[in-house]
Amino acid sequence: MANKPKVGIFSLTACEGCQFVLLDLGERFFNFLRKTELIDFPLIEDAPFPKKIQIDIAFVEGTPITKKNVSLLKKIRKESKIVVAIGNCAALGGINKIKNYQDKEKTVRYLYKKTGAIENPEIKGLDKFVNVDLIIPGCPINGEEFLAIAEELIQGKIPQIEQKPVCRECPHRGKESCFLRKQEPCLGTITLGGCQAVCPASDFPCYGCRGTLKNINPTGFLATLKKMKPGREFEESLEVFGIKDDLQKYL
Amino acid sequence: MERIIIPHIHKIEGQAGFWAEVARTGEVKDLKINTLLGLRQIEGILIGRRFWEVPIVAGRICGICPVVHILNCCSAIEKAFEIEVSEITVLLRKVLLASQIIQSHTLHLFFMSLADFSRIENDLDLIKKFPQEAKAALAIRDFSLKATKIIGGREIHPVTMKVGGFTKLPDEEDLKALLNSYPQVFDSASVLINLFKNLDYPVFGRKTDFLSLFSKTEYPFYQGGQVLIGDKKMSLGDFYSNKIEEDLKTPPVKKVRYQGQPYMPGAIARIVNNHFFLNPAAKKVFLDFKKGSGGNLANVFYNLFYQAIEILHFLEETEELIKELLKRELAEPAKEVKISQGSGLSASEAPRGTLFTYVEVDKNGRVVKCNIITPTAQFLNNLEEDLKVYLPGITRLPHKEKVKKIRALIRVYDPCISCATH
Repeated sequence: MANKPKVGIFSLTACEGCQFVLLDLGERFFNFLRKTELIDFPLIEDAPFPKKIQIDIAFVEGTPITKKNVSLLKKIRKESKIVVAIGNCAALGGINKIKNYQDKEKTVRYLYKKTGAIENPEIKGLDKFVNVDLIIPGCPINGEEFLAIAEELIQGKIPQIEQKPVCRECPHRGKESCFLRKQEPCLGTITLGGCQAVCPASDFPCYGCRGTLKNINPTGFLATLKKMKPGREFEESLEVFGIKDDLQKYL
Repeated sequence: MERIIIPHIHKIEGQAGFWAEVARTGEVKDLKINTLLGLRQIEGILIGRRFWEVPIVAGRICGICPVVHILNCCSAIEKAFEIEVSEITVLLRKVLLASQIIQSHTLHLFFMSLADFSRIENDLDLIKKFPQEAKAALAIRDFSLKATKIIGGREIHPVTMKVGGFTKLPDEEDLKALLNSYPQVFDSASVLINLFKNLDYPVFGRKTDFLSLFSKTEYPFYQGGQVLIGDKKMSLGDFYSNKIEEDLKTPPVKKVRYQGQPYMPGAIARIVNNHFFLNPAAKKVFLDFKKGSGGNLANVFYNLFYQAIEILHFLEETEELIKELLKRELAEPAKEVKISQGSGLSASEAPRGTLFTYVEVDKNGRVVKCNIITPTAQFLNNLEEDLKVYLPGITRLPHKEKVKKIRALIRVYDPCISCATH
């Protein structure tokens, strides 16, 4: 037992879909857990988060919205050697971040008139609060990719996801059925692949939930897409999964 | 005065805590379930957005039941645009909805609630103790997740469902393969039924009204024109507009009452209200259970066994639906969408109960109003009332035992705090 890497799986504010991706792996996920010493995973066990313990690898899903979310995140960082952000909410703020592009005081009043007790901060990814060692992106994450990365992590490596676009895995690549050829905006060209192009493969364009590729200059590409849809509409599409901030300077 | 505090109730969807003050006499002075999640403001952020973004964003309210959120959003907008979807669309949506209920119930029964009936605190140990049942639970989940992937393109946050129908239709061969694996899954469901039939359910009953959709012809799940609450039938619109009140005074959760009273949706409500329409195998299990229960069907702990019955029922339903699909030519994924000003209210049965989604759009197809009433928002009051009645009977137990019993009752409800706190 002593030699098994200590692992924790945590959630802040989220739909918890990324945790369910793990459970949906079934037996394979439980086999992975057996190679670790599971310190905390509230979704499948009752023991409370230990007061003080060194964690080797902490996986964190969700967005810090409440002060308690933020303090839990900081505690996790303090207690863990490696912190891995899992999913679009943890990486970029997720759909919750659409609020940042609106008048957030007005948005919060839409439903609740007594807003005194509501915590309504600007939505940000985990790396704006603590140092994050690795991001496993996507909304939700891809289970196969998680397993492959997690296996390396428990062997003491920090793997990097290859910087290749979604198009590389897309069944429409180079065909008439490609969204771009049909003059429909699709962000696959500038979005980090590894999802098996699950959306375009289902005839739904990529909205960039895995975040933008590093070291690219998408100015020309974005200008082309803008011609397909009027300006405001196009920018709104970049807001859905919180990638607009990263692309703002190229717009 | 004794304070009972459970800071974080594990093994539920989302995060919540429990807080109560109990007098020496056993009288409960105050009791609360509080959410530990932040408010994502899903309805608020949708105002002004384009209609087709509604299912994408609202579907992400919940990672365990995204299908029903997506589907309700699509249906509400289709009503606003006066679109009638195709028969194929309805059949496929029904398979997705049935699969969602199956996989959510199975996860809840085996991985969340079962341990409450033993001394096990961790699912890895649970799998060790119930190897055959664990295998059955995983096989059922694999089947329903596969169905979701074949039709929806992905297990969680499926991508093919849209206003008017689907972006893409499933492959006929994949549906056939699914049908071929059905008999083994049916056997796995029987394993689960046997496990949950023989659990030692606490005897508990507090009178409440059960809410579900109502149909004269089938066990309702996909869309409904009427609801049944207690012994009263009424139209969806009447119930939503006139009979329920949303308490918005305690954000970040809305709590809903029916004419001032708590009420209960979910598997227990669907079974109590509609058991006549269960599919044959599920019905047989139900009737045997009814005989043994002495006619008291309303013990909330039976919600677990009713979920097991529903797994069987919806598996039988899935088999029939796929057979119907295979008789037809899978063509025309979606109806054409013509944007117009309008509003729509849609209700479907989510795993945890009836989900209401209201959407209003302007002439440009942008959202003007949106309201989503989740099952958990509807049963939180009922859960708190149940706990108030349950607590005095267990106050003499040691603290640890008390906490265990409180958690067990909360988990019987299968609360989804992500849905309640959106």
